[in-house]
Amino acid sequence: MHATDSEKVEGPPLLLVGTDYRCAPIELRERIALSPREVEAVLVELLARPAVGEAFALSTCNRTEIYVSPRDENAAYRELLELLFLRRAPELAHPGRLFVHRNGEAARHLLSVASGLESMVLGEPEILGQVKQAGAIAEQVGSAGVLLRRLLRTAIATGGRARSDTAIASGAVSLGYAVVELARNVFRDLEDCRVLLLGAGETARLVARSLTERGAQKLTVANRSEERLRAFREEFPDVEPLPLAERLRALETADLVVATTGADEPLLVRRDLQQAMRSRGSRPLLVVDLGVPRNVDPAAGRIRNLFLQSIDSLENLIERNLKRRREEVPKVEEILERELARFLAWQRSLDAEPIIAELQRQAERIRRQELDGALARFPPETHEDLERMTRSLVRKILHHPSVRLRDPSAEDANSRLALVRELFQLGGDGESEPEA
Amino acid sequence: METFLSIAVVLLPVAYLLVAVAYGFVFFSSHPTARRWSTPGLLATLGFHALYLIGLAVRWHQFPAATVSQALSVMAFAVAAVYAVVEWHGRERSTGFWLVGLVFFFQLLSALLGRPEPPDLARFKNALIGLHISLALLGYTGFAVAAGYSFLFLQLYRELKGGRFSTFFGKLPPLEILERMMLGAVTTGFLALTGAAISGAFWAERIFHSSWQHDPKILSTLAIWGLYAAVLLMRRLRRWQGRETAIACLAGLGAVLFSLVAVNFFFTDFHGFL
Repeated sequence: MHATDSEKVEGPPLLLVGTDYRCAPIELRERIALSPREVEAVLVELLARPAVGEAFALSTCNRTEIYVSPRDENAAYRELLELLFLRRAPELAHPGRLFVHRNGEAARHLLSVASGLESMVLGEPEILGQVKQAGAIAEQVGSAGVLLRRLLRTAIATGGRARSDTAIASGAVSLGYAVVELARNVFRDLEDCRVLLLGAGETARLVARSLTERGAQKLTVANRSEERLRAFREEFPDVEPLPLAERLRALETADLVVATTGADEPLLVRRDLQQAMRSRGSRPLLVVDLGVPRNVDPAAGRIRNLFLQSIDSLENLIERNLKRRREEVPKVEEILERELARFLAWQRSLDAEPIIAELQRQAERIRRQELDGALARFPPETHEDLERMTRSLVRKILHHPSVRLRDPSAEDANSRLALVRELFQLGGDGESEPEA
Repeated sequence: METFLSIAVVLLPVAYLLVAVAYGFVFFSSHPTARRWSTPGLLATLGFHALYLIGLAVRWHQFPAATVSQALSVMAFAVAAVYAVVEWHGRERSTGFWLVGLVFFFQLLSALLGRPEPPDLARFKNALIGLHISLALLGYTGFAVAAGYSFLFLQLYRELKGGRFSTFFGKLPPLEILERMMLGAVTTGFLALTGAAISGAFWAERIFHSSWQHDPKILSTLAIWGLYAAVLLMRRLRRWQGRETAIACLAGLGAVLFSLVAVNFFFTDFHGFL
């Protein structure tokens, strides 16, 4: 393992070993995917190894990544491979199956993951919740220390800002949510929207799931087979079942119709829809035809206030949204770089903490010695004042140098630390705990 | 005061243009800086505009609608104020670019048509004429706002009909909301214009006792009133739906601008002030 320039160690080291959908096929990914309980067990086991200082694991269907702050980088790397990756999937030893990042690159990767830039579907929202959950497990196990806690906080903040300040997560990119997006562009409120689903197959379930997740409450599903209707209601108990033959009755009150059957003939012809529109007044009707062959007569698209969408228009919408998300990537990267720079600056400042602590200990030792020798010469009632005054003196003398040493933006930060070590003859043993 | 008024005439269109551009960035790219500054920018410009109108009233000792330029400025102010309330109430800024753009257009027109000295009109001190002008301006503002929402409605309607989705899609309020806002604005505008016509007729009858009814300005205003009455009637009878209503609202705004600008310039003496 050799570190590149961008991976040069500054501050406590960071190591990432992982794989994702770009490196490994699903057969390998599923073997190393970890349930929350397994994540806990892996973290506990990692912490027991002397080479690992801190650790946290992110495992989803598309990626498994372990972040550690190693005491011995090579040993920690070997242990990660032995404990998880190669033990469960030896094929990951093939070149390109695993990725390894260190320090700044490892931090950048996590920020990028949390922002949705590394996701299979660009900008997908679930990953941020998964990063939060991974952080919560590490917190619970006690495996995230100062460095990883800060890294997780930065990643979550970056992911949040990417979603709130850019359009990286905007617009539907799946069939179900595309129907939701269309409905939201027509109707004021999905809660008040009456939905009629024609068909009870997998596509209808997908659409029903997306609609109910986004607040739709009044769903009716029409199908020929009663058995399928029953099965549909097992997943969606609040849905009203309807024999397919009665679909025209439901059409009059529906606001959104989603047709998903494999029927050879159109289920809704222009005349049916015209009739339904007459009794609706000025209320618009959105009809989404996902059937192949088409379930709705295409001529119905010319009826006033009726919006007929085909599978092609949904694909247009999804493609447009993906394009828009791709255009947002530079903005997200800008946010990411800003947050990363802040994190790295903080990480670098951790180098100064042991030196500052030692400097303070040395000053305190000198103060104590001098004061102990001098106190006998002063009346006892002045001792407390002397104690306070000398303590304040030392604090004030050390204040400015401490601030300057902690300043990570200084270009000569490292040489400055070395100079302080030499001038004050400090060992730099790093006994003290770095500051959070 | 003179200096303030002359500077304000130039600065107001520029300020509205900048605010419209900021809302444009909010609409098209969700730019964080634009999102932060667009609303404060609008409120500051509205405050400045209010000072300008107060300044006009103080300077000329009359309601600042004695010329087409002043009336357009009052309308611009009213549209901007209506939008600020809508934004505050609905917590959404997607229509800001279009409505503030309309405000900029009115204010620019006002600046271009500005006259150094508006006529001193004694009739502007009459309570009935004050009511007439206020209602007429409220009516025109309602029609302008309705036209703004109509434009957006038609854009979204076209995209939904065609199944081809541009940058607009997903950024505007839903079709139902746009239609409701358009109808609300048209109804308000129509009621206000009706009030303006009645109060104006009473006042003219009392002052002129003659054939004021045949003045081109009166006739064009009556035509506008008739057009909007027809819009509301067709809606009531359910003969027209959103699309037809929106097209009529856009045509209505064209008629309002024609009546305000062209008729005043070329055809009327009696109603030359507005």
